[in-house]
Amino acid sequence: MEPSRRPTDGRYGDNPNRLQQFHQFQVILKPAPLDIQQLYVDSLVAMGTNPDEHDIRFVEDDWESPTLGAWGLGWQVWLDGLEISQFTYFQQVGGIDCSPISGELTYGLERIAMYLQDVDDVYDLEYANGIKYGELFKRNEWEWSTYNFERADVALHFRHFDEYEAECRRLMGLSEKKGKGNALIWDEADPLQRLVLPAYDCVVKCSHLFNVLDARGAISVTERQRFIGRVRHIARGVSEAWLAQREALGFPLVKEARS
Amino acid sequence: MSAETFLLEIGVEELPSSFVASALGAMPALFGAELDNARIDHGAIRALGTPRRLTLLVEGLAERQADLAEKVSGPPKAAAFEEDGTPKKGAIGFAKKLGIPVEALTIEDTDKGPYVFGRRDEPGAPVAEVLPELLARFFGRIPFPKSMRWGDGHIAFGRPVHWVVCLRGGAVVDAELAGVKAGRASRGHRFLSPAGFDLDHADAYVERLREARVLVDPAERERVMLERLEAAAAQAGGAMIEDAFLVGENLSMVEEPHVICGTFDAAFLELPDEVSIGVMRGHQRYFALRDAAGKLLPRYLAVVNTDRSPEIIIRGNDRVLRARLADARFFVEEDRERGLEAMAPQLDQVVFQAKLGSVGERARRLMEAVADDPVAKEAARLCKADLVSLIVGEFPELQGQMGRFYAERSGVDLEVARAIEEHYLPRGAGDGVPTTASAARLAVAERADALVGCFGIGLVPSGSADPFALRRATLGVIRVALEGPIDVDVRATLAAAHAAYEAQAKPVGARDEVLQALDEFFRGRLRAHFAAELPGDVVDACLGAWAGGSVRDLRARLDALDAFRGLPAYEALAVAFKRAYNIAKDVPPGDVDAALLTEPAEQALAERWRSVGARVEEHAAAGHYQEALTLVAEELREPIDRFFEEVFVMVEDEAVRTNRLRLLGSIARTLTAIAHFHLLSA
Repeated sequence: MEPSRRPTDGRYGDNPNRLQQFHQFQVILKPAPLDIQQLYVDSLVAMGTNPDEHDIRFVEDDWESPTLGAWGLGWQVWLDGLEISQFTYFQQVGGIDCSPISGELTYGLERIAMYLQDVDDVYDLEYANGIKYGELFKRNEWEWSTYNFERADVALHFRHFDEYEAECRRLMGLSEKKGKGNALIWDEADPLQRLVLPAYDCVVKCSHLFNVLDARGAISVTERQRFIGRVRHIARGVSEAWLAQREALGFPLVKEARS
Repeated sequence: MSAETFLLEIGVEELPSSFVASALGAMPALFGAELDNARIDHGAIRALGTPRRLTLLVEGLAERQADLAEKVSGPPKAAAFEEDGTPKKGAIGFAKKLGIPVEALTIEDTDKGPYVFGRRDEPGAPVAEVLPELLARFFGRIPFPKSMRWGDGHIAFGRPVHWVVCLRGGAVVDAELAGVKAGRASRGHRFLSPAGFDLDHADAYVERLREARVLVDPAERERVMLERLEAAAAQAGGAMIEDAFLVGENLSMVEEPHVICGTFDAAFLELPDEVSIGVMRGHQRYFALRDAAGKLLPRYLAVVNTDRSPEIIIRGNDRVLRARLADARFFVEEDRERGLEAMAPQLDQVVFQAKLGSVGERARRLMEAVADDPVAKEAARLCKADLVSLIVGEFPELQGQMGRFYAERSGVDLEVARAIEEHYLPRGAGDGVPTTASAARLAVAERADALVGCFGIGLVPSGSADPFALRRATLGVIRVALEGPIDVDVRATLAAAHAAYEAQAKPVGARDEVLQALDEFFRGRLRAHFAAELPGDVVDACLGAWAGGSVRDLRARLDALDAFRGLPAYEALAVAFKRAYNIAKDVPPGDVDAALLTEPAEQALAERWRSVGARVEEHAAAGHYQEALTLVAEELREPIDRFFEEVFVMVEDEAVRTNRLRLLGSIARTLTAIAHFHLLSA
């Protein structure tokens, strides 16, 4: 279960359908079993929805994160016209081809709860016994919308972006320079000396700082590409470092012989 | 040898509509080529399919390959055998290629001398033996806009493959595609007929799937879907807004089409129709409905993949649409509160092109370019402002329409508002052109700005690459000039656009070079545009005489020359003009000396030209090319024919010769200024 934050989607709590923070139930199946679609349909039954009484459709919707160099193909799943899930077969992460291919199911919890509780306004959802979603999150939306659009300290965010980017590279021993064909250059040659997981945290922080700066209107269209490129660079670094580290450890989670 | 129907069904996870279209479009030709290559006789090939299956049905597939029996021509005898008949490399290699012994080669005399021949005879194998490899190759060639990998990631296809049915008649063809062994077990509709079933015979395929709640033939599925849509629309008291995109999308999202009719709150009808329709169409793939008077109804049609519990499904869809429309209304209200006036300055933050600056700067250039027309100038200031509106962010295709809506609602002059919308016209082939002079001026200036900017920094279209749609922009200018309320002076318009860039100190290169390159570019597009209705040499003849200014002037030349070609005098005159042009083109111009005209035929021609030439030139100068050419046809045919029959031009006497050439040159120059007759092919 993950909170998903999209600063530019903030609406100060005024819009009944759009939030700068909502919640996703994410399921990763690696490798994706061949019957993953049926498993998904069965999960709707578990949710209290009888698929035989509804119009369920798999509608093309590919997923891409340019900052993370990740993309996949798949669908949004419609339940009577309502997009309730995102279904993705991951093809690349950090610019590296995935093998095996994972399947990711993302359930939009607010959407699904609105559907199950039959309400039109997200803030009218019953979050727990007698407590409305609005009572918990409406002020939250207003504060974060105000922060993201109006009050966030731009200079501080730019500085933090630079610092976490540098921290990320330092933790991995990744050079600022790039080699031929944009190849990564490693100052730290030993994969086991690189702190990949803390470095990954730095990537996520940079990505979010970028989103806040974007919502704040502080990044021009031309600079945008450059910032995306910087995040992608360290995201690639983390991905390659992770792969190298797992390889050095002998891929401990891969139990069967790789063909 | 018995021929049987062949069936291949590839069962997949839901394919996007563009994937189904691309695969089904290519499959018959791909498979036909494979069969022909393999010498397998067959009848008609059809591709059928739904989001969950891609199917080939081939009539009359032979049981065996045809026998191969052909005589193949090899190298010349001299290159293949020694004098004494010993085979050289040429003969050995050729025999090896055919798979026959060298002794089986024969020598035959041909037009080019003696050549080596060999026979290739190969009995056909049963198709059951040939098909597995053929099918695997065919499978790998089915095209998709994007392929994906799944499982252990070794195979790529449009979507994961779950089952394969492959039958020739009633027999399973032993094949394996994407690691799935072919059999006779197919599957029906995912929800309406989930149990799998065995197919006894390929001929039963379409019918058996119909029973399993799948209309596998797209034509049948479309017919059924449209019937149901029309019936539902009639029942709701309206008619669907026709939309080929929606038909295609919906058709490829269902295996058995059913239609529900939902309702939304009539209060949402206050939104501009384009927005409501955009929400229904873009987000939900719904068909909007209009009543007999053309007014939008608060109803919609949705194509669904089931006929069960329609009331539950309608309720769900109603709710989704309500939320979507509320979202759109929120955007429109926010936008109106902010107002177009406040949006315009934000265009300075939107990049038009890295070297050419912001959209705000572009808007100011457009204001400069149309400064003489106050309505167009005010529209130029506001015409791009809706690009930063929330609603256009959500529905980019509403650019212009929303600008006009916001402008009208905030009291902007209605003609300005109209120009804001219409300056995008024509958006493509089949679209209308601006209806007012101001809108047309702005539309032309907008395209000229893009053309000069892109050419100025070297972004010139090449081959199929035209990322800034400059060809379309050029065609837009041409169509506005020909079909719209005002003519366009191409060179002056482009020069004004260049001046506006220079005033902003943009790096768009030297004026004359850019205009020269664009003159050539325009001529290319004009040629392509008019070649659709007129012969290429006629277009070239007029383009040659056209100075690159008024588009309607070029049109007038083309019409005049086309009409002239229909006159009985045309052929003779065209030949005479060409002759006159060719022999006189190197003669320096000068007055014809009447005293040197000795032959009666040249005197007659000179006299006629004296009385007619000035009038022809006057007509031409006024752009009345048809009158000019009619006059020529009426007055010149007889004397010029007689001149060429009776007068020998290239006489020894230089003075007489030059005088005659000057007479012809004078006629040729006047006519060449109308159209380059010497470029006409006949």
